[in-house]
Amino acid sequence: MSEPSAVLTGLNPPQETLTPEIRAKRKSKDFKRNNLVGYLFVSPWLIGFFLFAFIPIAISLYLAFTNYHLLRGGEWVGLANFERMFTSDIRYGRSILATFKYVILAVPLRLVFALAVALLLNTKRRGVYWFRAAYYIPSVIGGSVAVAVMWRQLFGGDGRVSEGVINTFIGVLGFERINWFGNPDTAIWTLILLAIWQFGSPMLIFLAGLRQIPSELYEAASIDGAHGWQKFWGVTLPLLTPIIFFNFIMQMIAGFRVFTQAFVITGGNPLDSTLFYALYLYRRAFNDFQMGYASAMAWVLLLIIGFFTAISFRLSKYWVFYETKEG
Amino acid sequence: MRSIKHRALILLSVVALLLVMGSAALAQDVQQMRVVWWGSQARHDRTIAVVEMYEAAHPEVDIVYEFANFNDYWTLMNTQAAGGELACVINQDYAYLAEWARNGLLQPLDPFVESGAIDLSAVEDVFIAGGRVDDQLYGVSLGTNSQSIIIDVDAFEAAGVELPPLDWTWDDFEAIALQLHESLGVWAYGAPTLGDDQIWTAMMVSLGLTPFNEDGTALGFSDDQPIIDHFSRLLRLQEAGAIMTPEEASQYATGPENSPIVAGAAAMQYQWSNQVVAIFSAAGEDRHFRLWPMPRPANAVGSANYLKPSMFFSISATCDMPDVAADFINFFTNSTEANDILAAERGVPISSVVREHLAANLDAVGTETFTFLETVAETASPIFPPNPPGYNDIRNNVWTPLFHDPVLYGQISVEEGVALFRSEAEAILSAN
Repeated sequence: MSEPSAVLTGLNPPQETLTPEIRAKRKSKDFKRNNLVGYLFVSPWLIGFFLFAFIPIAISLYLAFTNYHLLRGGEWVGLANFERMFTSDIRYGRSILATFKYVILAVPLRLVFALAVALLLNTKRRGVYWFRAAYYIPSVIGGSVAVAVMWRQLFGGDGRVSEGVINTFIGVLGFERINWFGNPDTAIWTLILLAIWQFGSPMLIFLAGLRQIPSELYEAASIDGAHGWQKFWGVTLPLLTPIIFFNFIMQMIAGFRVFTQAFVITGGNPLDSTLFYALYLYRRAFNDFQMGYASAMAWVLLLIIGFFTAISFRLSKYWVFYETKEG
Repeated sequence: MRSIKHRALILLSVVALLLVMGSAALAQDVQQMRVVWWGSQARHDRTIAVVEMYEAAHPEVDIVYEFANFNDYWTLMNTQAAGGELACVINQDYAYLAEWARNGLLQPLDPFVESGAIDLSAVEDVFIAGGRVDDQLYGVSLGTNSQSIIIDVDAFEAAGVELPPLDWTWDDFEAIALQLHESLGVWAYGAPTLGDDQIWTAMMVSLGLTPFNEDGTALGFSDDQPIIDHFSRLLRLQEAGAIMTPEEASQYATGPENSPIVAGAAAMQYQWSNQVVAIFSAAGEDRHFRLWPMPRPANAVGSANYLKPSMFFSISATCDMPDVAADFINFFTNSTEANDILAAERGVPISSVVREHLAANLDAVGTETFTFLETVAETASPIFPPNPPGYNDIRNNVWTPLFHDPVLYGQISVEEGVALFRSEAEAILSAN
């Protein structure tokens, strides 16, 4: 915001001789005034940030050490919430298990699928732009409740299970129909399949990464006699590792926070096999109204995500290859 | 000059900000009264019609209504209570009334009853009593209901099984279920689960016990054998193929029109009596369903049925127009025109005048419900005290996920499950 006042200063050239002290005083006054206007202009964002992000986050940190109940109020309990989480809450253990199972299965599968489709679409065939857009659509609408509801119906979640599209298909192919939502072994797979289907955003990032790989490298590889797979292992994959790493981090964080799909499609059932961390946290907060405990859970989730992100960064130096890096 | 421009700019920004904030506050109209309830679409339609009827008679009142399903409703209510934003007239449940009243969130209704603003002169005390907490009235019951087993009479006839006596036991139930299954090849019983925690409370009532002790600090019984017997029975019936396993039951989506009994896949179904309307109508007129009282354990000392206020209307403590709210509740309770529309969908009305009025022109379902409740009322056990704080936690986090599901899925034994239930439930209750 210094430009307008600089212009104004130019219009009114100073008449008296300026001692350095006066100049410094003027400057700091201008600075304060200009800053005030600046802060006023960003105030809508600042107010929003403090009101809806910073203050709630700070309060939730405080609540994590209380047994605050929405109706009954609460008091300071120190570390009791964390103790309960790790020693006596059986469902908490189940939610950790379900979440890790989901992250370990869904994240790599989604990345592999996204990379495979990106490789297919990284060609100069006709209509490839159309396909790129089409394959991205599931991700645009992916987090929505509508897709989750549709997914539920595909697997026969509303009405008789045998009437779901997937089961009709399985029946036509001559296999026995699967009660997807009734069996603790299969229910989580409906959610993993949904995650794989929503491969659009990592795919787009992979596509951008693929286009960055200089074509000379492929030419050189061809001259050396390398073929399809060899080029992929020797050129594409190493040069793509920074992109893979980025996608992995983003998808892992999203995986730990998975909520909507489980909330709508399986509701955490059966036998808590899809009771993901965020879903259990939500239930504790808004069905049981144990806000203190839920806040503590939220902070532990933050620590878990932080921990695994840090580990990933540590390990990345062993497999991520940066072209620009020295040595 | 520079500073004037700057000041003008600052002033303008501040004014703009205040305007944005102010306009939101000014939009509120003092003449509005908020009413909230939970339920299904059929209930929403009927209730909205009655709200509009009230508005037509009272043009000075503008009723703003909100509704949701039962679970979302309580999320909404608790959030609004925490924010001091409660509606004037709120739907209350027996399970929560005491906690809300004791937390000072509700107004006592006795002054309105004394002044006649809420006219309960045609209501027997047994229907009012459920709304009292610490000797003060906090909720007016919107209907009376009781637990029941819906019986498909046609299936019983086809299987050559006689209808059970009204005081049937769970042993009778088991014999009948096996017989039905053998001769019809369908499930004798489908969903919802017979291991529901409300069946547990019904069982305790019939044994002359209460689910929780007087202070709500522990379970109200020391012998777990009735629960062990019941779940062992359910496992036996599951194994025989007479009742659905939870996995099989999960094939049927929730909602009355998807019930196994409606689909003709099962011959009996457990249901609260005010919820049977949807099932009877989804099944169609050519089916013949009857309502039967709950089975009781062989060593029961009384009926497993108790009369429960299906829900209440209460007035929130923050309501600034309690007279209008009271008048609305009075209209809901005593107006025969309003109850023609509501048609006992929330349970059998508490006013004897309204009951007689409705009884004159009831449909088949209505007649069945009214007669069922009359029959049950003759022998009903007294209702147990309102659930203690933590009941919800026990139901959501202990009964179903730690005991009911693992036992009926065959992951742990009944004895292990019951022991876990007791220790976890008592841990929650001991905090009271």
